[in-house]
Amino acid sequence: MYREHDLSYDFLGIHLENPFILSAAPPTDELDMAIDGLKAGWAGVVLKTTSVESNPVNLKYPMMSSFGTAAHKLWGLGNIDLISQYHIGEICERVTALKRMFPTKMIAASIMGSRKEDWQSLVWQLKKAGVDLVECSFSCPQGSMGEAAGRMLAQSVEATEKVARWVKEAAEETPVLIKITPQVTDIVEIARALNRAGVDGVTASNSVPALIGVDVETLEPRPSLFGEGAYSGMTGMAIKPLTLRTIAEIARNVDITISGNGGAYSWSDAVELMAVGASNVQFCTLPMHHGFGTIRDLKSGLADYLDRKGCASPLDIVGKALKNIKGQEELVAPCSHSDIDLDKCIGCGNCFRACSDGAHRAILWDAEKRQPSVDAEKCPGCGQCMQVCPVNAIRMKEELDGKVHYFEFKGAR
Amino acid sequence: MEEFEKTLTRQQAAIEAERCLYCYDAPCQAKCPAHVPVPEFIQSIRSGNLHGARTLLQSAHPFIETCGRICPEEAFCQSVCTRSKIDAPLRIRELHRFVTDSTDPSDRMELPEVTLGKVAIIGAGPAGLACARELRVRGFSCDVFETRQVGGVPSQEVSTHRYPREVDEREVRFLTSTFAAHVRTERVTDLKPLVAGYEAVFVATGLPSESDMNVEGTELVGVYHARELLRKMKSGAISGAGNRVGVIGGGNVAIEVASMLREEDPTRDVTVVYRRGIKELKAFKKEIEEATEIGVTYQFLAIPDKIVGSQHVEGLQVTQAHLCGEDESGRCSFEPLPGSSFIIPLDTVVVAIGQRVDEGVFPGLVRSDSGLISVGENMQTSMPGVYAGGDAIHGAQTVVEAVRDGKKAAEQIAAFVAGGK
Repeated sequence: MYREHDLSYDFLGIHLENPFILSAAPPTDELDMAIDGLKAGWAGVVLKTTSVESNPVNLKYPMMSSFGTAAHKLWGLGNIDLISQYHIGEICERVTALKRMFPTKMIAASIMGSRKEDWQSLVWQLKKAGVDLVECSFSCPQGSMGEAAGRMLAQSVEATEKVARWVKEAAEETPVLIKITPQVTDIVEIARALNRAGVDGVTASNSVPALIGVDVETLEPRPSLFGEGAYSGMTGMAIKPLTLRTIAEIARNVDITISGNGGAYSWSDAVELMAVGASNVQFCTLPMHHGFGTIRDLKSGLADYLDRKGCASPLDIVGKALKNIKGQEELVAPCSHSDIDLDKCIGCGNCFRACSDGAHRAILWDAEKRQPSVDAEKCPGCGQCMQVCPVNAIRMKEELDGKVHYFEFKGAR
Repeated sequence: MEEFEKTLTRQQAAIEAERCLYCYDAPCQAKCPAHVPVPEFIQSIRSGNLHGARTLLQSAHPFIETCGRICPEEAFCQSVCTRSKIDAPLRIRELHRFVTDSTDPSDRMELPEVTLGKVAIIGAGPAGLACARELRVRGFSCDVFETRQVGGVPSQEVSTHRYPREVDEREVRFLTSTFAAHVRTERVTDLKPLVAGYEAVFVATGLPSESDMNVEGTELVGVYHARELLRKMKSGAISGAGNRVGVIGGGNVAIEVASMLREEDPTRDVTVVYRRGIKELKAFKKEIEEATEIGVTYQFLAIPDKIVGSQHVEGLQVTQAHLCGEDESGRCSFEPLPGSSFIIPLDTVVVAIGQRVDEGVFPGLVRSDSGLISVGENMQTSMPGVYAGGDAIHGAQTVVEAVRDGKKAAEQIAAFVAGGK
C-alpha cells in the first residue's frame, strides 16, 4: 500500500538493503534465528563468533544480568557469554545455506583464534563457504585467546596489527572487519594499526567490560553462580555514549571504514552512530529485548528521517556530525543565561533546587506562586536546570549585539 | 474479610514512585493536614528503603495504617500533585499504604521519661490519641477517657471492607501501648475535677449524637440512625434492616451505611435517597465508586416528605426536586416541584443527615450557634487549661484533620504547662 523508501547502498562492495545488521551474538547463534532475522528485514547477519574445533567453549548459565530501574529494567544488559559452541565446520555450512536462501543479504561470520594457522584456516574455510565478510573478534571481554589471560587482543597495538595482517593476508579480496574494544588508552592508535595491517574496516566497538552489580544483602556479584560471579560485557542503552565517542574518535583521526556497534536501540540512535562515522549499525541488545520485528521501526524511522533531511541514501549521513565535534578548548564561549518559559513551567521547583545545591545559586524561588526566576547576573548558563526540568520549559538564552540565540534541551526522547 | 482495594505490589509501587517529580517544598506535603513528608517517603520507596519510609510516615502521623486506607486523597495531597500537570497525580495514598503494609512499626522509638505530669484526654478517637502520642513524646503521660471502643470513628463505624479489623487493632494497640496512654472507661460530664487533677484537659469527643429528620413517621419500626447501625454492624451484630432500604443523605456516613447494608445482605436493595444530584454528593469519590460497585443505587432529586406506614415502615414519600443555581460552595441548590410527590416503597429507612456534639455535657464550655465547642487560635476553649479539637470543634471531618488538631493541641498544651499556667 505504501512505497518503501530505498535504503540500499554498498558497504565495502557488499550490497546492503538497509544499514541494520544483526551482530555476532545470541540472535545469530542458531540457523533458524538468523533466517527469521533476515526474513524480518535485517540487511545482514554476522554469525556469532566461532573458532577452530580444538577450542573448548564452556558456557556458564545464567549468563545474563542487567541493571536499571523498576520502570526501565534494562538500561544496561550484561553477559558472561563466550563465543559460539558451534565450530567452524558448522558455521561454514550455515554461511552456504544462508547465502543460498538470501543471495541479496550480507552473510558475514565472526571468528576468533590464537595461532596464525588458526586465524588463517578459519578465514579460508569461510571464504570457501561463500562468506561476504569476515569479522574478527579482538575484543570479547571474556576469554580472549592469544595474548595474556584476561587481556583482549585489541588492547595491544602490536598484537592487533600482527593478527590483523595474518587475517587480511588469508582473506585477500574478501572484506575483513576487526571488532575492537573501547577499553584502551588510545583508540586512535589501535585504528591506525589496523590501517597499517591493511584490513578493510573496524567494528566499533564491542560490549564494555563491566561489573553489573553487587547484591547488597548477600554481597554476591551479578550475575551470581552459587554466590560467585565474574565481570560481564555490558551492552544496551547505557553504553551508547561510549560507543559514540569511540566511533567519533576513530573517524576524526583515521581514514578507515567503521561498522557501528554498541548501545543503539532505535533508528535515531543508529543515525547518531552513522553521523559520527559509522557506515552501518549492528544490533544485538534491541532484538534480544524486543525481537527481530524491531527492524520495521528502524527502517521506517530512518526512511522518514532521510526524507525530512532530503537525503537520497543512508550514506549521506555518514560522518556528517564530525565537523561539529571539537576539543573543549576550541569552542566559542557563549554568554548565556537560563530562560524559563513560565507558561510551560509546572512549578515543581527542581530547577531551583538543582541550581541551589548543584550549580550557581542563580535561580530564585517564589514560594507563594511556586515559580522560579533567574538572576541573570549570577547565572552563567551552565544548563543543569534544563537537564532536571521535567517539562523542558528551560533553555539557555544568549543575547548578543541584538541577536538572540537559544541553547535548547536535547536529551531524552 | 476481603478488602475492596488491594495493596500495591512492590513492582507497582516502585514504578509509581518513579513518576514522582520530587517537588521542592512539595505542595502535597503542605496540603496534608499531618504534613506527611510525601516526596521523601516516595523517594525512600524508590531506593528500596521501606523502613526509612515507614519511619518518616510514623514520625508525622500516628494513624498511618488508617490513613493509608481511608484518607480521601482527592481532598488533600493528590489534589495538588504537580505530576497532574503532566499526566495524572501520583497515587500517594496507595504508596503510603504500600509502606505500612510492607513493614512493621519501627522499634527504634526513643521516648523521654515522663517528667511533665499528666494530661486528661476525653475521647480516644484520632484527635485524642494523636494528642496523647504527641504529649507522650514531649514527656507527659495521659489518661484517655472513652466510653465506647478505643479508636473512634474508624474503629467503630468504617466498613471492614475498607478498614479491616486486624489493621485497626494493630494500629490502636501500637498507639496505646507504645505511648502508654492509660484508657479509662468512666463517662466524664463535668470538667472541673479534671482541671483540678491534671496539668491540662483535651476535649476530643467527636460528634456522638445524630440529627433527626423533622418529618412524620420517624417513630415507626424500621427507622434507624445511620451511625447507630454502623456501630452495630461493625461490632459483628446483625443490623435488623429489611430488604428494601432507603438511606437518606448524601454524605460519607450515608454512603458507608448503604455499602455496609448491601455487604451484609447482597440480595437487599439499598437506595440512597438524596435531595440534590450526583455531582452534589458530599461523600468522597472513592467511597461512592465502591458503593456503586457493590450495587448500591440512588434516587436523586428526592426531598423526603414523610415516612409512611402504620406501625412498620412501608415507604418514603418524597417530592421531586429540581436543581437551581450554585451556592457559594459551588454546589447546586434545589427547589421542590409542586405536586410531584411519589412514594418509594421501603421497609427500612436509615437517616444519615448529620451529626452533633452532645449538648448536655460540659456545661461550662462556650459553644457556637451550631453547638460545636468554640476554641481560640491556640485551641483553648473558654475554660483555661481546657483545649478541644477534632469533630467536636469543626463538625464532621477526616481522620487526618483530627490528627492535625491532636498534634497542634499537644503543642499548645505543652506551651501552656511550660508557661506555668
